[in-house]
Amino acid sequence: MTALLTTYVLIWPVVVLAVLLVVVGAFARDVRRARQAGRRVI
Amino acid sequence: MPLDTEATPLGIGAVALLLALFYGGTLLMSLSIRRRKENADRYMTAGNNIGFGISAASMTATWIWASSMYASVTAGYTYGVSGPIHYGLWGALMILFIYPFGRRIRTVAPRAHTLAEVMYARHGRSSQLMLAGSNVLGSLISLTSNFIAGGALIAVLSPLNFGAGILVVAGGVLLYTLWSGFRASVLTDFAQVVAMLGAAVVVIPVVFFAAGGPGMFEAGVAAGHVTPQQESFFSSEAFMNQGAPYIAAVLAYAIGNQTIAQRLFAVREDLIRPTFVTATVGYGATVIGIGMLGVMALYLGIDPMGGDVNNLMPQMVSTYLGPVLLAVAFLMIIGSLSSTADSDLSALSSIVMADIYGQSVGRSAADPRTMLLIGRLTMIVATAAALYFATSQFNILDLLVFVGALWGCLVFPVIASFYWPKVTNAAFTVSVLAALAFFLPVRFGWLPAVGAWGLAVELLATIGIGVVLGIMAFGFFGLRPAVMTGTLAVAVSAPFTFFFLRDYEVLSGSLVAYAVSFLVCYLMSVRSGQDFDFERIQHVTGNFDDTSTAEQEDPDEDPDDLVLASDRPGPRS
Repeated sequence: MTALLTTYVLIWPVVVLAVLLVVVGAFARDVRRARQAGRRVI
Repeated sequence: MPLDTEATPLGIGAVALLLALFYGGTLLMSLSIRRRKENADRYMTAGNNIGFGISAASMTATWIWASSMYASVTAGYTYGVSGPIHYGLWGALMILFIYPFGRRIRTVAPRAHTLAEVMYARHGRSSQLMLAGSNVLGSLISLTSNFIAGGALIAVLSPLNFGAGILVVAGGVLLYTLWSGFRASVLTDFAQVVAMLGAAVVVIPVVFFAAGGPGMFEAGVAAGHVTPQQESFFSSEAFMNQGAPYIAAVLAYAIGNQTIAQRLFAVREDLIRPTFVTATVGYGATVIGIGMLGVMALYLGIDPMGGDVNNLMPQMVSTYLGPVLLAVAFLMIIGSLSSTADSDLSALSSIVMADIYGQSVGRSAADPRTMLLIGRLTMIVATAAALYFATSQFNILDLLVFVGALWGCLVFPVIASFYWPKVTNAAFTVSVLAALAFFLPVRFGWLPAVGAWGLAVELLATIGIGVVLGIMAFGFFGLRPAVMTGTLAVAVSAPFTFFFLRDYEVLSGSLVAYAVSFLVCYLMSVRSGQDFDFERIQHVTGNFDDTSTAEQEDPDEDPDDLVLASDRPGPRS
C-alpha cells in the first residue's frame, strides 16, 4: 500500500512535466512559424 | 492572517520583488504585442486563428484558478486519497466532454465572439440576455474570488495585509490586460502556465520527501489520522459529497463560462481537439497533484491554521519548502489566479462590447473605436466592482452556487439550440426559468424533501442523471447512443436514488435543474413548427471591425498599417 500511495503522489508531477514539454514545444513552433511568415505570434 | 505573528515566511522585500517580477514580466509580454490601433475583433478573439501552443497553454491556465488548487487540497484533506481525484478528474473530463459541442458551435458561428451573441442569432434578445447576464455574474464572481485568493495568499505569506494584497493583484492584472485585451490574456497565459506547471513539477515531490516520504503513510495510519474511507481509492463518501455534485456542476460551468467560449472562438478551428485534450490532461494532473498536499497533511495529522482548510496549502509549502521553492510556490498560485482573472476581464469586456453595445446598435453600425473604449472601461469598472465585493461581507459562495445553478439550467437548452431546429425562443426561456424555479427550493431546502415533494425531487434528480450522461454521450456518439445512455442511466440508478438522494441537496438541486430544463424544453419544442436554418447564424454573427476582414484575407500584412474602418471617409458598409 505504501508503494502504491507513493506512486500515486509522485505520478502527477511526471504527467505535468510531460504536458509542460508539449506546450512549450508547441509554443516555440508557433513563434517560429509566425517569424517565418513575418507576422506576430498573436 | 499571517502564519506566525512574529515572522512571516516571505519578507516584504521578497514579496515586492516577486510581484514586480511577475507583473512586470507579464506587462512586458503584453507590450510586445501592443498595437497603436487595436482591432476590436482581435481584442475579443485574437482573429480566430491562434496556434496550438498558445491556445493549449491558455485553456489550461484559465481552467486552473486559485480556488481549484485550494479546493483540491481541501478535498485531499477531507476525503483522503480519492478526494483530489473527485475534484480534479471530473473537472478535467468536462473540458474533454465539452469539445465536441465546441466544434459544433464553431461550425455554425465561425466568427462569433460570445456564446450569448450566438444565442441572439439563434433565438433573439431574451435568450441572449439570459446567457450574457449569467456570464457577467459568473465572471465577476470569479474575478472577485481570484482577488480574494491573491489577497489572502499575500497576507498569509508576507507582512502585507489583505487589502494591500488585493490591490496589488487587481492593479497588476488590469495593467497588462487593459490595452490589448484577449490577445494579452492568452499570450501571458503561456508564461503563467509555465510558472504554474513548472512549480507543480518541483513543489509536489519536494514537499513529499521533506515531510517524511513514503514513511508518512504507515505512520499516519498507525497514529489514527485517517479513516478507512479516507484510505480508500473508492470512497463512496468522497463520490457522493465531492465527485457527483461536481460532475453536474462543471458540465454547466464549461458551457456557461465565457472564458472557455472565448478560447473556443479564438483557436484555429482544426486545433480545437488537441487544445482541449492537452488542457484536459494538464488541468487534471496539476490540480490532482496539488491536491496531494492535502492528502499529505491528512496523513501527517496537520491541523489547518485557525481551523480554516484554505490555509492548508500555504501552511504546507511554508513548512516544508525553503525560501527559494517557497517563492516558486508563491508564483504558482499568483500565476493561477492572475491567468483566470485576466480571462475574466477579457470575457466581461467582450460581453459588453459584443452583446450589449454591438447588438444594441447593430453589427454594421458598431464603431470599432467606441467598442474598444467600452471594452477597456468595462475592465476598469469590473476591477473596481470585484475589489468592492472582495472587501465587503458579500457571500461569494452563495452567489457562486446561484450562478452554477443558472448555468445548469442553461446547459440542455443551449446545446439543443445548436442541433435541433425545433427549439424556440419561448422553449429556451421558459425551460431555463422553470428549471431555476425548481432548483432554488431543492438546493436551499426551502421545502422539506419529504412525502410527495421528496419523491418528486428524487424522480426529477433521477431523470437528471440520465440527462447529464445523455448529454455527454451525445457529444461523442450522436443522438441514438445518447438516448440509450440516458435511458439506461435512469433505469440503473432509479432503484438506488429514491429515499436516498434527498439527503444530498447540492447534488439533487443540480440534477433537478438539468431534468426540468430538459423536460420543459423538449415538450415545448417537439410539437413546434419551427425549422431553424443554422446557416443564418454565421450571417448574423461576425466581425465588427472592417480591418478584421482585411487581415483574414491577407494575414501577413502588418495590421498597424491598416486604416481603421471608422477612419475612412464615407458611409460604413
